[in-house]
Parts: sequence; structure tokens; C-alpha cells
Amino acid sequence: MKAPASPRGAQKTAGRRTNIGAVRSTFAPWNDPSAVPLVRFENVSKRFDDHVAVRDLSLDIYPGEFFALLGPSGCGKTTLMRMLAGFETPDTGRITLGGEDLAGVPPHERPVNMMFQSYALFPHLTVEQNIAFGLKQQGGLPKGEIAARVAEMLALVKLEPFARRKPDQLSGGQKQRVALARAVARKPKMLLLDEPLGALDKKLREETQFELMDLQVELGVTFLIVTHDQEEAMVMADRIAVMREGQIAQIGRPEEVYEAPASRYVAEFLGDVNLFDATVAASDHPLARLSAPEAAGGFEVMDDDCPPAGTAVTLAVRPEKMRISLDAPAADAANVMAGEIWDIGYTGDWTNYIVELPGERLIRVARANASRIVERPIGWDDKVWVTFDPDAGVVLTQ
Amino acid sequence: MNRPLPRPSALIPYVWLGLFFAFPFLLVLRLSLSDVALAIPPYSPQIDWEKGIDGIREFLGGLDFEMYDRMRGDHLYVNAYLTSLLFAAQGTIMALLVGYPMAYAMARCRPGTRNLLLMLVILPFWTSFLIRVYAWVGILKPEGLLNAALGVIGLPPIDLLYTPASVQIGLVYSYLPFMVLPLYAVLEKMDHTLLEAASDLGAPPWRSFWQVTFPISLPGVVAGCLLCFIPMVGEFVIPDLLGGPGSLMIGRSIWTEFFSNRDWPFASAVAIALLVTLIVPILLYQRQQARALEAGR
Amino acid sequence: MKRGPSVFNLVSLTLGFAFLYLPIVLLVVWSFNASRLVTVWGGFSTRWYAAVFQNDQLMQAAWITVRVGLISATLATVLGTLAAVALTRHGRFRGRTLFSGMIYAPLVMPEVIMGLSLLLLFVALQVDRGFVTVTLAHTTLTMAYVAVVVQSRLATFDRSLEEAARDLGATSTRAFWQVTLPNIFPAILAGWMLAFTLSLDDLVIASFTSGPGATTLPMRIYSQVRLGVSPEINAVCTLLIGAVTVGVIIWSLASKWRARASA
Repeated sequence: MKAPASPRGAQKTAGRRTNIGAVRSTFAPWNDPSAVPLVRFENVSKRFDDHVAVRDLSLDIYPGEFFALLGPSGCGKTTLMRMLAGFETPDTGRITLGGEDLAGVPPHERPVNMMFQSYALFPHLTVEQNIAFGLKQQGGLPKGEIAARVAEMLALVKLEPFARRKPDQLSGGQKQRVALARAVARKPKMLLLDEPLGALDKKLREETQFELMDLQVELGVTFLIVTHDQEEAMVMADRIAVMREGQIAQIGRPEEVYEAPASRYVAEFLGDVNLFDATVAASDHPLARLSAPEAAGGFEVMDDDCPPAGTAVTLAVRPEKMRISLDAPAADAANVMAGEIWDIGYTGDWTNYIVELPGERLIRVARANASRIVERPIGWDDKVWVTFDPDAGVVLTQ
Repeated sequence: MNRPLPRPSALIPYVWLGLFFAFPFLLVLRLSLSDVALAIPPYSPQIDWEKGIDGIREFLGGLDFEMYDRMRGDHLYVNAYLTSLLFAAQGTIMALLVGYPMAYAMARCRPGTRNLLLMLVILPFWTSFLIRVYAWVGILKPEGLLNAALGVIGLPPIDLLYTPASVQIGLVYSYLPFMVLPLYAVLEKMDHTLLEAASDLGAPPWRSFWQVTFPISLPGVVAGCLLCFIPMVGEFVIPDLLGGPGSLMIGRSIWTEFFSNRDWPFASAVAIALLVTLIVPILLYQRQQARALEAGR
Repeated sequence: MKRGPSVFNLVSLTLGFAFLYLPIVLLVVWSFNASRLVTVWGGFSTRWYAAVFQNDQLMQAAWITVRVGLISATLATVLGTLAAVALTRHGRFRGRTLFSGMIYAPLVMPEVIMGLSLLLLFVALQVDRGFVTVTLAHTTLTMAYVAVVVQSRLATFDRSLEEAARDLGATSTRAFWQVTLPNIFPAILAGWMLAFTLSLDDLVIASFTSGPGATTLPMRIYSQVRLGVSPEINAVCTLLIGAVTVGVIIWSLASKWRARASA
């Protein structure tokens, strides 16, 4: 994956040990006690007639961040974003932007702009006129400078030849760029993106992901995206807030949230995961032992943050961290499970194996197809052994 | 261009309309070019079929614009003609001013309420138009309800009946649904996120309306105006019941000429003159509808 | 998360609807007014209703009007539906522009012009004016309205339903009858009701194209109105309003009941 050439300052990441691959960037103002957040939600709640959308939520977003609100529909992420834009008002709590309380400030007076999920391009205006719309309002530009800014925006999104077209003459990807250009034309402090890539096809989505990231750094604007697509969030964001039923389940870097989930919910929401109900049997620093029905020899995990013996826990192991083999491993090794291939999902670059363990338990193992030619391919109904390393799994208590 | 002929199922309504709608206009035209006659035929000139081609030539030679000259010369008719156009224009604008806020408000209500309100707009259609207009007589006449109400408040009575004002009220009242419905149809379909986008980009509510809502609703405005203006010009019942000598409209003239004076050729000429004036708006309306039909495909 | 109507919206709605319904409300009130005067309430009375039912001329005219309405509406619905199908389904055929022009023109054409032209037609064809001519005239006028209503429903109808039917073995015509028609039926019914109402209410065209022995209710009312105030007219109108309101309520209840039954 390409590491963006980032003008962000270097900073050591402190905090919880994460024994994961390359850290994508060293930009982390949230770890700097002297950094001032751009946006702060303080104990914000919002309820609609029958249900509570946002529940006593507090969150800081720092300038220059690419922040993602991730969660299933109904989790409150869109409501949170709309409260920031000014289309909803919080029932309780406070939202501040740049230190100023946003209460009572209508949307057209906020230095925040939004890129709508449906793009909301004005059908009766051309691309140029759409982009110029915000510039003609209060807080925009003097007349003489509007044309120049519009040209600048068109160049930014590479749509110069389409300036005179109307929205109904554009493709989906082009409409999205117009919506983006229009939203950043006023050079807002913060840009909100509502499910920005949902309507695009796969290839376009990948290209656009990187373009958005580059654009964000180039413009120096803080981005907040709202999405239910975890891939989108993980590729683009500096930090992700996983939301559940109006509250934040976990915030962190994509790697943190993926490899060190704080709860079953987060582990299950991001990607695939195998969850094992287990009991802590013994602690044997730096390892700990868990007993579970699936593994005859029990599970061996790292013991940091492992609760005392006797506690019921969940062990979460991602499919790609497991190894699968037709050959039996050493006799009394830990983290060994024996089973039969139940189903195979071949996607070209990866193969997903669904393995049936005794007791009709199904687990998922993913293996990259690293060689073109495989001597002994694993097939349906084969007897296999699944293993993983002690640091491959995370012990969860909630 | 080798386009197919209409299919049999399309031919039935086609022929019907051709016979009962289009062809009669030719008759009106022919009659308008004839000489004075009282009511029923024969009208001169006639085609004497026995004379063959000469007969047709004689017929064509006998046609003249006598009726049109008479009409142009008689300032009563010219006045009625211009009054009709003026009243229709005024009535259309008033209907737009009253109807647009109504349609806009309806489009912003919840779906359940919206349907109810739509029903309420359409319901008066189903009650006698004639009688509803007639009710205004009871309201506007000197000893009517309006003056009684004014009297209660302590204001002096106004004499509105049989004036241009009462005709205007009648026009706006009767055609209001025709303005509201096409407006509502367009406003209801409007994407509300467009307004949010406008607001997000810095436009205060009233600017959002003028720069986004109104331009997008323009097709509805045009449809509503045409649907009101064109029939208003030829309206008969309203000026007849509510209007006085100062508000003679062309529809009434045609009626009078036809039924009272029994001068059918002359009435035909007046009708053709009216039709010619309205051709352009009618074509405009048809083109708009056809375009909407295409767009919907 | 759409904001509801603002105060300004609610005020415009209230004023607008008050304006629309004022005469109707007044008519109903006056019809029960023992006094003839519009400004004086003489007590509740149903004498005008009694007078209506005793007025033979009115009753006869009403009966004729209803019959004309039923026949012309039904004819107009058939013709209008055919026209709507032709406009939406038959693609570009020769003379389509003229056809669609003839469909939309009656919607805006001033009635005096239409009435006059139809009368001249009947005279030229040497057809005696009466029941038949009025019915033919109303059919011509109202079929345009039916066509517009049905056409707008057809335009939004999902073609793939018909295609699925044909894929399963139905011919084009059968697919239309068995799949499309039942689904657009509410629109056709709405078109019928519209045609019926327009016919019931028409004064101008009826005056031109009707004849002795076929005086319609609007014609009768008009001639009576010229002579002066007659509260029986108010009673007639209230009866009409009542009938329509009852009809609408029954219809909406029926459709709600049907919707719940099929849910």
C-alpha cells in the first residue's frame, strides 16, 4: 500500500503495545497532550420520537485528521455528522468548533461543508455554477475572484472539460467530483463526507480512496467521513470511531481497531473473526493458558491485559492469522484444532476455508494464494489442522 | 422516414378525436368565412357539386372576411377581446400568488397529511362548479354576507358584485386547483437534500428558495399558468354570473352572439379569433406535456 | 429528517383552504336555512330539500344528467385508456404529434369554442340535438382527461412485469390484460370518476349540444339562477356535495381495508 508523502510532523506513538506491521504514518495529535482539538463533542445526546440516536457521546477531532465514523445503519453516525453540519440540534451537550460553541448557529453560517451521499447537485445549474454557488453567498468570495476559484477547483478534481455540463450529463464518478469540488470551494475548516464511495463501482472506489487521501493532505482540511463500509474507513482514515447504538465502542488507528479490538462487537464489525468462548486456566508469564472446547490442548495467548484465572473470556483470532495444513503438527502443541473442510471460497488472491470442528462448530481460515502452483491443494472434506501463534489472538472480556 | 401507421387500437380514439374534435374546427372556420345568416343552414356560399370544379371555385370565391371586418370595426368586440386577455392574465398571476404558497406548504407536510390535503384540493372539483360560483353572488352582493360581516366589524359596505373585481375573485377561486396541482406535483418530487446542500454552502433560507426551489419548480409554474390562462380567456360562466357591463369577456360575447342574436357566422368568426390567439399558448402547453411524456419514458 | 411546514406555510394553507371551501360551507348552511336570505338565519329547516324532490323539472334534469354522465364516462374511459396506451406504448407512429396534440388540447380549450364547433358538426351531419349529441360531446371532452390520468400511471408502471408475463408464455395482449390492466386499474377508475364529474358539471358544452327533452341539471340550474335566488339550488348542491363526500370516504376506507387485507 502506498504511504502518502505526508507533511505531518513525526511523533512517537505511545500507549498500548501493538505488535502489528508497519505503522502507516506518524501523525497522531490525539496522543499529544498540548494539541488542541478542532471539533469537540461534549456529552452530546439526541433522540428522535421513538429511539435514542446518540447517547452521551464525547469525541475530539484534531485539525488535519482524516477521521471516520464507522458503524451499521442506525448507530447514530449520520446524526452526529448532521449535528455538526447544523441540520440537527443536540438535545443535551455541546459541540464546539475551533473553540466556539455551535449552538444556535444555522448551517449556512458554519465553516463546515458537507458532501452529500446523493451528491445533491443542483440540476438546473451547470458544473461551474454548482461549484460557484457557495462562493456567491455570504462568506464566499468577492465577485472578481469567484471565477478564479472555480477554475482552481475544476483543476483540482480534473473536470475542466465538463465545466459547462449539467449534472444529468455526468457519470457517477464525475458527479462525485463536482460534489467534492463544490464542498471545498469555500475552503471550510472541516469537510463532512456522507458515505462518499457507496455509489461507485469497485475499481473507481479504490482509485477514489487514494485520491481523497491525497486531496485531504493537499488542502490541509480536516475530513470526517461517515460510512458503514469498514474497508473504506480503514484505507482512508487516520482514526476510526466504531459506533454502536449511539455510543462509541472504540476509537483508534485502523490497525489498533482491527488488531486490538476492545470488544466482541468491534472485533466482529471489522472484517471476519473467529470467536472462541474460553476460560482463563493459568497464567504463565509471558503466556497465559485458556481452556476451550475447540482445542484439545487449550489456547496459549499473550498475557498482557489478561484477566485472572477462572474468568470467562472470548478469544478473537482473525482468519488470516491462522495456518491451515493437511499435516498434523507436533503432538501436544497448543493452539491446535482438528477439523474437516466444510466449504471453500476462492477469490483469486485469497482462499477462505470454512473448517468444521468437532461439535459442529465452523471456523474460518484465510490463506493468501502466495504461489501459483500448489502441489497438494486442500479440497472439500479434507481433514485439516488449524494452528496459530500465541500473539495472533486477542482476549476480550466484553 | 418510414414510420409505421397507427395500430388499430390507437386508430379508434384517433378517428373519434379527428371526427369530433379536429374536423368541427374546420366547420367553424368555414362558417366564419360565410355571409350573414340567422342560425341554421344553408349558409352561403355553398358548394354546388353539380358544377364540379367550377362549383368549388365559386365556393372559394364566395368566402370572405366580412365577419372579421365587422368584428374588428366593432369596438365592443375588440374591448371584450382585450378584456378577456387582461382578466386572464391578472387571474393567472393572482392564482399563482395564492397557489404557490399552498402547494409549497403541502409539499412540506408529512405524507399522510399531504394526501389528505391533496384530496381536499381536488374535492371541490366534484361539487358543481356552477353553483360554487353562484355562491359568490350571495357573498358579494350588496345585501350579501361580505357586507354583513363588514357591518359587524363597523366598516362601510363595498359594492363588489358585477365589477371586474368580482370576476377576478371568481376566476381565481375556480382555477386555483388547476394552479396548485401541477405546482404540487413538481414541488413534491423535489429532492430536499438540495436545500440542505444550499444551506450548507452558505445560503440563508430565503435565498435557498429563490436560487434552488423556485428555478426547479419552474416547469410546474409554466404548466399551472397555461392551465389557468388559456381556459380563463374563453371563460363564460364566471363573467356571466359575477360580471357586469364593464367586464364583458369574449366567451360571453360568443354565447350572446350565438344564442341571443342567432348570428352563427359572426359567432364563429369571434370563436376563430379567440382560437387563433390561443394557438400559441396551446401549442406551448402541448409541447411541454409531450416533453414531460418523453422524459418520463 | 425533513422539517415540517413553517408557520408561514401553515398560514398559507389555512387561508388557501378557507378561501376554497368558504362558498361550499355557505351553500350547505344556506340549504338548511329556513329563510331565503343569505344574511339572516331563519332557523334550521329542510323545506328546500322537500322542494327539490317535488320539483319535477329538476328531478328530470338530474336523471338525464346522471345517465349522460354514466354513458359518456364509460365511453370516455375506454377511448381514453386506448389513447393513453397508444401514447405510451406504441412508439413513434405516423401522425403521433397530431394525435397527442388532439389529446392535450381539450384540457385547455375554452368550452365555448368546443361547444360551438360540436354544434356545427351535428348540424352539418343533420343529427337532431338531444341526449345522444350531448353524450357524444361529453365523451369527446372527457376522454382527454382520462387519457392524461391513465397515461401518467402507465408511464410509471414497471414494464418488467409485462415482460415477465411474456417470458412465461403470455402473448402481448394477454400480458396487457392480465398484468398491466389490473395494476393500473385504480388510475382507470380515477379517470372514470373524473370523466363522470366533468360531465355532471358541464354547462357550456351541454347548452350548445343538447336539445329539447334533454335538458341537463346544470342547464336547468343556470336558467333558474338567471331568474333569481332559489334556495332549492343550495339544497341540490349540498346533496351533490354530500354524495361526493360519502363516495370519497367509502372509497378511501375501501382502499385502506383492501391494503390491510393484502398486507
